Amino acid sequence: MRLIQFLLIPAIAFVVIVYLRRFRTLLLDRLLILAVGVFGIVMILRPDWTSKLANDLGVGRGTDLVSYFGLLGLTFFCLLLWSKLRDLEAKLTEMARAIAITKAEEK
Amino acid sequence: MMDCEKKDIFFIVPAYNEGTVLDSTLRPVLKEGYSVVVVDDGSWDGSWDIIKKMPLYALRHPINLGQGAALQTGMTFALSKGAKVIVTFDADGQHRLKDVAVLLEPVIKGEAKVALGSRFINRDDKNAVPFLKRVLLKMAIIVNGIMTGLWLTDAHNGLRVLSRDAAEKIFLHENSYAHATEIINQIRRQKLSYVEKPVRIHYSQYSRAKGQSVWNAVNILIDLLLRRVFK
Repeated sequence: MRLIQFLLIPAIAFVVIVYLRRFRTLLLDRLLILAVGVFGIVMILRPDWTSKLANDLGVGRGTDLVSYFGLLGLTFFCLLLWSKLRDLEAKLTEMARAIAITKAEEK
Repeated sequence: MMDCEKKDIFFIVPAYNEGTVLDSTLRPVLKEGYSVVVVDDGSWDGSWDIIKKMPLYALRHPINLGQGAALQTGMTFALSKGAKVIVTFDADGQHRLKDVAVLLEPVIKGEAKVALGSRFINRDDKNAVPFLKRVLLKMAIIVNGIMTGLWLTDAHNGLRVLSRDAAEKIFLHENSYAHATEIINQIRRQKLSYVEKPVRIHYSQYSRAKGQSVWNAVNILIDLLLRRVFK
């Protein structure tokens, strides 16, 4: 095994565990994150498999393939976060509005 | 013809750090006998202490949310107080009370559910708009037209009059300035009858400094587009 693998695999495992324990409770989400984690570890252990997959898809190097998917994934998460923020903002507005109306002063 | 006294007409005035001008803006409105709801949008300039002492309904958002949110809070509150007509009115003194009378007429007479102020009906009103602002507004009119399907002569004009049933059908989710487009959208979707009437905007040193910049307009557009994609 190469050194980089020793660094990356625990890092991925850590992220997956934190994610599973802290953030998501939905079964589907958990399975998805687990699958992504396992896929990541496999790719680290077997770089040649990634290269083969890349070639099959018409991408030159395995690294490129990984970075394309990585970018896509990041974008997806940004959008997810953004829509969560909007939900949160809507709730906050509702609450602030309720406070403003209950505490209205009349003269 | 609506049976409507002046106290049944509620002015909704969103205010964010407008402490220095509120009194001069609102005194004539109160003198006329209209009901006034000021929604302090989390100001930190001491506005609240001024608003609280005035003879009106004073509401305060615990945090700053934006003009759209403040308008909606004011409308919800006014409806709960039995408002028959709602006037949206800016705090910075840019609107004229005599224009409000012009907008009120068709709504009270029942000719339209909504009356919208426009700076581009009379030549004099149009000339009162600073040049850069005029260009910007023309662009906003086009954007609004495309986004809402309602082609008006003005955009983002803060002076509007809504009948009670129109106000009940409208709900602003857009907290920022983008509410100005959202409201037009809802007028169309709810098939509310509307008229445009000429109004003059008074561009004082103060309102110019506080008003929206060109970049803000770009921001509003992005907000609206995002909103379109992610309901």
